[in-house]
Amino acid sequence: MAEHIIDIDHITKRFGDNTIINDLSLSVEQGEVLVLVGPSGCGKSTLLRCINGLEPIQGGSIKLHGEPVEHGKPSLYKVRQKIGMVFQSYDLFPHMTVMKNITLAPLKVQNRSKDEVTEKAMALLKRVGLDGKADSYPSELSGGQKQRVAIVRSLIMNPDIMLLDEITAALDPEMVHEVLNVVLDLAKGSETNSGGTTMMIVTHEMAFAEAVADRVVFLDGGVIVEEDTPQEFFHHPKTERAQRFLQTFTYSR
Amino acid sequence: MNTFKKIASVFAAAAMALSLAACSSSNGSSAASDSTDDSSAASGSYRTVDQIKESGEITIGVFSDKNPFGYVDNDGTFQGYDVYFADRIAKDLGVELKLVPVEAASRVEFLETAKVDIILANFTVTDERKEKVDFALPYMKVALGVVSPDSAIITDAEQLNGKTLIVVKGTTAESYFTENYPDVKLQKYDEYNEAYSALQDGRGDAFSTDNTEVLAWAMNNPGFTVGVESLGSTDAIAPAVTKGNETLLNWINDEITALADEQFFHADYDATLASVYGDNVDKDSLVVEGGVM
Amino acid sequence: MQGIEVLFMGNNMLRLLDGLWVTLRLSLISIALSLVIGVFVGALMLVKNPVVKVMCRVYIEIVRIMPQLVWLFIIFFGITKMTKINLSGETAAVIMLTIWGASEVGDLVRSAFQSIPSHQFESGLSLGLSRPQLYFYVIFPQALRGLVPDIINLSTRMIKTTALVSLIGVTEVLKVGKQIIDANRFEFPNAALWVYAEIFLMYFIICFPLSLLSRKLTKKRGE
Repeated sequence: MAEHIIDIDHITKRFGDNTIINDLSLSVEQGEVLVLVGPSGCGKSTLLRCINGLEPIQGGSIKLHGEPVEHGKPSLYKVRQKIGMVFQSYDLFPHMTVMKNITLAPLKVQNRSKDEVTEKAMALLKRVGLDGKADSYPSELSGGQKQRVAIVRSLIMNPDIMLLDEITAALDPEMVHEVLNVVLDLAKGSETNSGGTTMMIVTHEMAFAEAVADRVVFLDGGVIVEEDTPQEFFHHPKTERAQRFLQTFTYSR
Repeated sequence: MNTFKKIASVFAAAAMALSLAACSSSNGSSAASDSTDDSSAASGSYRTVDQIKESGEITIGVFSDKNPFGYVDNDGTFQGYDVYFADRIAKDLGVELKLVPVEAASRVEFLETAKVDIILANFTVTDERKEKVDFALPYMKVALGVVSPDSAIITDAEQLNGKTLIVVKGTTAESYFTENYPDVKLQKYDEYNEAYSALQDGRGDAFSTDNTEVLAWAMNNPGFTVGVESLGSTDAIAPAVTKGNETLLNWINDEITALADEQFFHADYDATLASVYGDNVDKDSLVVEGGVM
Repeated sequence: MQGIEVLFMGNNMLRLLDGLWVTLRLSLISIALSLVIGVFVGALMLVKNPVVKVMCRVYIEIVRIMPQLVWLFIIFFGITKMTKINLSGETAAVIMLTIWGASEVGDLVRSAFQSIPSHQFESGLSLGLSRPQLYFYVIFPQALRGLVPDIINLSTRMIKTTALVSLIGVTEVLKVGKQIIDANRFEFPNAALWVYAEIFLMYFIICFPLSLLSRKLTKKRGE
């Protein structure tokens, strides 16, 4: 195993004079679930956007299966098909039904057959508990349902890696659970022969992070401050900054 | 470069649009829209009598909804006192007549841009207008008239002293009576139809405005008579041409003078105004022959 | 019912229909041109170049501030005075309506695109859609859905504004109506009511299906 899906090599990302990511290197292995945590503005969401080529980088390189991800290059469209991304905001296309939302990219980008795609979509919808909503419009769904559809929409592309950017941050609390359960299910790889889905997850749900992660990366100020197993990181953080960060999630009496 | 291309393409599209519009309107002029397509009359400067004769067509601006001076009848044909004269002008010039419907607000502009050769649209001669267009000799005149019920008819403005006179705000009648007959009580209305209702309801003793207006109304409202047909200063109504168009101006003046011999405008009156004003009206309170007021 | 017979006298019915055709022809040509040019204007306004943006803004604001009647006089009379070019009344009318319509459409197109959240672009791109696919399947349909009611609203305003063209000698339906009322004002003083009722009916027959259509198009997605 230990095949690298993503190789991030000394990348730097600046907005004007503001350095968001500073000479950062990171790799993700096949089947690995990597959780990025850190205070707001630490660069974790920006990192995901760079991996998907939505943001240009000012230095270093990002490779998916050895192929460079380069912002603005034609090759980017090919690379992106192998990267699934789900955002914090509800980003379903409001003028399309759930089924159309899910099948648009496989049909138009991957040129797959309609029957195969529809069948796969139904199977995935069933897996996330939404098989009855195929013909609904996004406006008829709750926030949690929308995010589950968004996950399916990415999954159907058979991506090499899924990038989840704070996908529960905009949800009402009672809906967070249903979405995280879907992600946990993906991480375990409950589907027959396939292993767990390779994922990079940005989240503020620490209990979820501990449950789902194979590895936790703590970012602050655009650099990796600490990197460890979830057990070690959440119970025995080594750096002071990580300790302080984790304290903000517990009430001190 | 990229931006430049985009802008260039917009201009190209706009140019295309204009040419498209030009085609569509030039072949699409229907009977209902006597618009000034094809520049028979106008290229921005006026045409001399010779140029008009040479082109075989004269363009005259008339009203299309001012019965009985210039209007379009139920068959779609131009009629009225002004149109009757326009017909004669074209006939005597030996050219076809092209009538263009104009509005009061655009009469001066039509002449200034020479989009018509003549305006014959109940055009009252004023000093202000004289600066912009050239007026020929008058062929009609307008003064104030006073209409009152037959039961208590007013035949002289003096009789109105101490009585109530209905006027419409902003008209010549209002200012005339305010200045010259301070003892007449004025009852003012915004609209003509309100003023007429007031007269019919007996809210006032009489109503005064342009004699052309009250004469026509009295004719169609039995029980009311215009006792005073001509009062106050008389305004001349004359044909107008583009400023400086001397040949055409002189031609029209000669024409009006010559037409006096056959009492043309009396015939015009009989043909177009008599049915509206009735037989009891003194034609000479409206008609001007030979340009002599 | 006094006065209704005026509608059936002479060629009056035909003349009203002719007038309606003039109104429709001018409006439809102008609306079509406004859409084509307006989309360009809207696209220009979305260009990041500040000079282009300011130029578009100035154009839209000038058109908005000046009454349409002033534009009509400038185009029909002003151009002739300055250049000796003599435009026909209908051409001048189409140009006036198009200058106005294109500025309005441009602004509508701009706001329709700007109202689409950036994550719609991003989620489309992250699914691997190419730019043309993104615009064709995701952005245009959403922009269009917002635009349709506004465009129809603008179209009805343009149809109504067409009435101004009688000032430059073009006889549209309302002017025909006034001519008929005036020609019969002594014999049938109540004809005005019936003539206007008929014109209202004609406008209604044209505009009602339009508003039905726009309602259907906007309601379709259940939002």
